[in-house]
Amino acid sequence: MRTKTTVLILIVAATTACAVQSVSAQSSATLDRTKVLRAAADALGMARWSDIGAGATRLPAIDIVNTMEFSGSGTSYSSGQTLKTEYHAAVAYNPPAMRVEMTRAGSGGGASQHTIQTVRENFAWNESETGAGLVPGKGTATPAMDGLKERLLQLWTLPFGVVKAALAAGDKTTVSTESGSTVITFPLSGQLSGITLKATLDAQNFVTKVQTRPENAALANLAFETEYSGYRDHGEILTDIRSPGRIVRKQGGRTVLDIEVKMWEANNPYVVFPVPGNVKAAGADSR
Amino acid sequence: MRLSRYCRIIALVAALCLLPAAVLGQEFSQIKRNNNAPPKPSGPTPRTPDGHPDLTGVWNGLGDNLLGVPNQIANNGLAIESESVTRDLHSGASIATFPRNTNRPLNNEQAERAATLLRRVGSNRPIYKPEYWEMVKNLDANANEEDPSNNCMPAGIPRAGIPSYIGQFPNYFIFIYPGQGGLIATQTMYRMIPSDGRKHTPLQELDGTYTGEGIAHWEGDTLVVDTWGFNSNTWFDQLGGYFHSENMHVIERFHRDGNTLTWTATVEDPDVLVEPWTTTPRVALLNPKPGAMLPESQPCSERDLSHIVTKEHH
Repeated sequence: MRTKTTVLILIVAATTACAVQSVSAQSSATLDRTKVLRAAADALGMARWSDIGAGATRLPAIDIVNTMEFSGSGTSYSSGQTLKTEYHAAVAYNPPAMRVEMTRAGSGGGASQHTIQTVRENFAWNESETGAGLVPGKGTATPAMDGLKERLLQLWTLPFGVVKAALAAGDKTTVSTESGSTVITFPLSGQLSGITLKATLDAQNFVTKVQTRPENAALANLAFETEYSGYRDHGEILTDIRSPGRIVRKQGGRTVLDIEVKMWEANNPYVVFPVPGNVKAAGADSR
Repeated sequence: MRLSRYCRIIALVAALCLLPAAVLGQEFSQIKRNNNAPPKPSGPTPRTPDGHPDLTGVWNGLGDNLLGVPNQIANNGLAIESESVTRDLHSGASIATFPRNTNRPLNNEQAERAATLLRRVGSNRPIYKPEYWEMVKNLDANANEEDPSNNCMPAGIPRAGIPSYIGQFPNYFIFIYPGQGGLIATQTMYRMIPSDGRKHTPLQELDGTYTGEGIAHWEGDTLVVDTWGFNSNTWFDQLGGYFHSENMHVIERFHRDGNTLTWTATVEDPDVLVEPWTTTPRVALLNPKPGAMLPESQPCSERDLSHIVTKEHH
């Protein structure tokens, strides 16, 4: 009798335990997305914590990427020509913003072109000098709302933007395997609604290719393919954040940007993007 | 015999199935706090005979944690609320939050690099005039040499934050800021701040100092300390390269709620800033010991700077 009772208890325990295991296995399957995104974040060095002076406090890891700055040299395509280009970008994700400064060599010995294209949340503008339009007499800020989506797309297709946006998309993000590589696919949101982003990871979980696919013809100019390679810590101040050493962006099969990165400061540097008053007014008018 | 072996197999299966839960339970039992939320107020707010909240006390109840990374993250405007939720208090943005993926402690280099990033991730940044953007960035990047407080100099106001001791008297306040080690090495500061209704000395008649000319008044139950007359030898936050001119004007607000004191500072400096900047509110906890005393500050003697060979910094 006692043996039978013991057996019964053990069977109940085993059944319960295996049921727990089954639930656990099921959540493991649904956790694949979580694992893949965490692996991608870890490859880039985004998920971090520190216990310095923390006493008994044990905080979780958080996404420590907010502002960045990088620069490089290479070529870009403009007005039917591929030109030597010096490229500099200041980036922020909270709030989302990007300032791209390019100096393109003049073709045939002509004057070089210098542009500063800036975007922040729902505003896009061009600056005659960095920070133009904020202080009277210091440059001109020209609203450029037509470029809003493309500029935001540049921000969110950077490797760090891809991981952030994929995490933010939650259940809409899917993970699959194509030709042996892990692929992350999700719809972009907000101003970029109607565009699907597909990112391919390499064996080290680095984002190596990002493709954007607009869902309708009106957004056809936002179909890009960007390749990233040569990841390492490119900062003068080392942060353990790995950034790409080469960026190649294509549109319709044509290379529109190809730069070798010289510097990528990931130390959350002081880069700011206040929206000039005239740009705010123009943005309000356009809505 | 067969039954016994059968039982052992079932027991083994059960044990293996339940092992992860047991391990997990053991991990959680070691976690004492997984957020950096400010302390919640408790107890009554004492008042002085003239009816104002009494701010008198030793406001170091958070102990060493005041200078720790969790508190620095809070000062930078990030509220880590749980194992999965972090918010930027300034922008309202949600910040991705992950469980730790190792139980091994980070080595010093990993911990320091992560701490440097964690202290800077918040969105609440002063907006300088564009001609100073590169300067601020470079000051921060070269903080080992450029930070004016690194050589045992006074932190200044408002960088010093919440005083560790406040003495409240009918016509003046005494604030004491013990010298700090760790993140910054600064010397002890004190301020004697009148609250007798006097007006500021005209700015051009003041010689700039580290703590400026502070004058206090009450706005309801909030103590407002209005200060100008600074020198330009300090930064106005603990990091970031946030320099200022002698034209800086600082308005601090202190509000006591039970055993907590909430502090904010607004920095106006039309010479270098596009607009005033306000710190994320910081909360100090009253030392719970009835006879709490401030210990003597250790002498500040900076001996590390000459040995630093990289630009990595706090």
